[in-house]
Amino acid sequence: MKLGYLKNVRIVVSLAVLLLLLLVFIDIGAGFLQGVTDFFIRLQLIPSIFRFLALFFTISGLGFVLVLAITWLVGRVYCSSICPLGTFQDIIIAIARVFKKKKNRKFAYSANPKNPIRYGILGATIILWLSGSLFLINLLDPFSNFGKISVTFFKPAYIWLNNQLSFLLERFYIYAVDPLAPVSMTFEVILISGVILITLVIMSALRGRLFCNTLCPAGAMLSLVARKQVFQITFNEEACNFCGRCERVCKAECLNSKTKTIDHSRCVGCFNCFNACSNEGLSYSRKAALVANPATEPKVNAGKRQFLLALATGLLSIPLFNNTSKAKGFGRPGLVPTGTTMPVIPPGALSHDHFTSHCTSCYLCVGVCPKNVIVPTMFGHGLQGIMQPKLDFHKSFCNFDCVRCCEVCPTGAITPQTLEQKQTIQIGIAVFMVESCIVTIDRTDCGACSEHCPTKAVDMVLWDNLRIPEVTPDLCIGCGACEFACPTYPYKAIYVESNPVHKQARPIEESEGPQEGALDEFPF
Amino acid sequence: MRRRDFLKKGVFYSLLVGLYTSTIGRISKAIAQRPAPRAAAGYDLVAVRGGEPVAMYRRAIQELGGMQRYVKSGQRVVVKPNMAWDLPPERGANTNPELVGAIVRDCFAAGASRVFVFDHTVDQWQRAYTNSGIEQAARDAGALVVPGNLERDYQEVQIPGARRLRTARVHQQIIEADVVINVPILKHHGSTTVTIAMKNLMGIVWDRRFWHLNDLHQCIADFCLYRKPDLNIVDGYLVMTRNGPRGTSTADLTVMRSLIISSDIVAADAASTLIFGQQPRDIGHIRIGSEMGIGQMNLEALNIKRIAL
Repeated sequence: MKLGYLKNVRIVVSLAVLLLLLLVFIDIGAGFLQGVTDFFIRLQLIPSIFRFLALFFTISGLGFVLVLAITWLVGRVYCSSICPLGTFQDIIIAIARVFKKKKNRKFAYSANPKNPIRYGILGATIILWLSGSLFLINLLDPFSNFGKISVTFFKPAYIWLNNQLSFLLERFYIYAVDPLAPVSMTFEVILISGVILITLVIMSALRGRLFCNTLCPAGAMLSLVARKQVFQITFNEEACNFCGRCERVCKAECLNSKTKTIDHSRCVGCFNCFNACSNEGLSYSRKAALVANPATEPKVNAGKRQFLLALATGLLSIPLFNNTSKAKGFGRPGLVPTGTTMPVIPPGALSHDHFTSHCTSCYLCVGVCPKNVIVPTMFGHGLQGIMQPKLDFHKSFCNFDCVRCCEVCPTGAITPQTLEQKQTIQIGIAVFMVESCIVTIDRTDCGACSEHCPTKAVDMVLWDNLRIPEVTPDLCIGCGACEFACPTYPYKAIYVESNPVHKQARPIEESEGPQEGALDEFPF
Repeated sequence: MRRRDFLKKGVFYSLLVGLYTSTIGRISKAIAQRPAPRAAAGYDLVAVRGGEPVAMYRRAIQELGGMQRYVKSGQRVVVKPNMAWDLPPERGANTNPELVGAIVRDCFAAGASRVFVFDHTVDQWQRAYTNSGIEQAARDAGALVVPGNLERDYQEVQIPGARRLRTARVHQQIIEADVVINVPILKHHGSTTVTIAMKNLMGIVWDRRFWHLNDLHQCIADFCLYRKPDLNIVDGYLVMTRNGPRGTSTADLTVMRSLIISSDIVAADAASTLIFGQQPRDIGHIRIGSEMGIGQMNLEALNIKRIAL
């Protein structure tokens, strides 16, 4: 049986998944093949495990079970089809090939499986996770890294192109292409995403899927399962003529054509070897037929290193605290320092604990937020929640009639909410600083905060012939519209103090519709 | 060519180009800032009550001599509704979409070459455009519905005679338009008590925070000095009487079935304020606007046509 076609199947599937996920992250054609895209997002290993736990053993979080089962059956095919970062690396490998001299285009078997590194990182990741820190997951999870790279680099590039096109068409009075607002990014986040991207480019251009077999915790987890896999790629003793073509195309550097052995824990199931073999020298067969090869068995002396590595990263995860003392005083509007002590997190995130212990920083919410209010932070949630996003009310505010972030979050860090539920979730409470307000200092009307408030939690009340804001806390949902609109600077005269645990706001009273009040005569 | 010759010629030609562009720029600006046509001989203001929004508008514009008095053949028109909010028409936060559609159709019937509709929205602009129903209604009528939330579309203009707002960044469609038709909806407003025609012009500038920081009422009045709309059509059908300008539910609304139309922006605001149940002199920007001679707040001095349908 010829199995060469499997490579082509893999390429088609992986590119399709990559494209769908890219469309989701860049937020093009929202709703296009939504069901299919959702299915592939549910299959992402680490986000799926988090979703399962975050949403209390939900069925939609069972994707990881399917992935583990497939890996147990046929090996790490996940890494070459479902994982977007895997496919992304394959593209880099293919591009790098073009620039390489012919003699450098081949891969060679690597006898060192680097088990201490990959299992050490997996161990450290799990230990940190159990101790409440997502530090390593946020830096290493492949799906989330693909998201970070897409939102940080591909989305702005797409927006720029889109806006150029829109600008061009406008000259011909064609307004079919809506211009898009740029995503807010901080320098540190661009820097880290850039470092991740460059690391990936270098590793994959030089050594194929080295990232997947060293730094990737999902890869390491699947390796452990793949050791026991039922159907394995094996050499056919009679057909193989030691030509070595399979080894030269093996991106995982796990195939030794001289000894006719394969390290299945490292094999990413790309099927290049089947395609390269001219003689049906390789096939899938049951493991029982195999003799265990001592060379590929894991070395168990890695315990000490694992422990030290875990300890070092664990120490790094000690959270940082920022407390700015608040000075009081009158003067120019906006001179009193204000701002939430903890970052505000999206509605549906339940609590800071829930959010920071489930968000893998994939930035899907950042990519789809129509108001661009969800922005990545570096240390906003401390080192244990490195790169996790927050709501930035200086940049924008949360649209009242929108639940996009709740719909898309793959990990359940932001739990699904209906629009009605979301509109009464109190993510924070507006705090009014009378000593900083334009009305008290300049004695002029303003009311920008109240104007923007969707629930009238911020209302204007009479004050010395002027109107001044008054906050009704139980009506406030913490959407940040008031903080965004407040014109004072550098500090706002009204800001949203984050709720560490989200609360319920008082719902707006059910209305009986408009009153009849037609004019009997003109009052002039 | 010698270096000296080169420099001489370079300086000469660059001066020439600079002179040319600056004069042409000034001329085109002067054309853009033509004064609004006065309501010749006819009514200064028409008030209609008791009908549906489009029917009231048709009757009112007819009394003023039809749209062709304001829009001439080949002109570029901007129709500026209030569509700042991501809310459906029944919430009364945005101008009635059918009214906007009818006005756009009339502009084309009067010979307009192009009609533009936009607003610098408060809520997310695509959602506000769609959910207000105005995008669809205006497009169906043939208008170009253009974005108002892009900084690149706003250009700085001088406002001669202004007390606080001496410069503002204005949407280029306004700068390029021959005719501007302002179509606000009459609403309560938390800090300015009412928001009508004058305040609706906050939707054609970029930096609204500056206004809030520098005496909001004065800035609203000042901005009218830049360019008074040629016509103000106030939708007073479904009136938000509290919790404005966004409203929290339909309970904030009263069905008043009225419409005011005038080329005098202050008069339109004054009449609408009276319908709302307030006195124009109590509204800062209306009072200042009248004092500064932008328009007439005292309705007794005007020739008003009152119509009940």
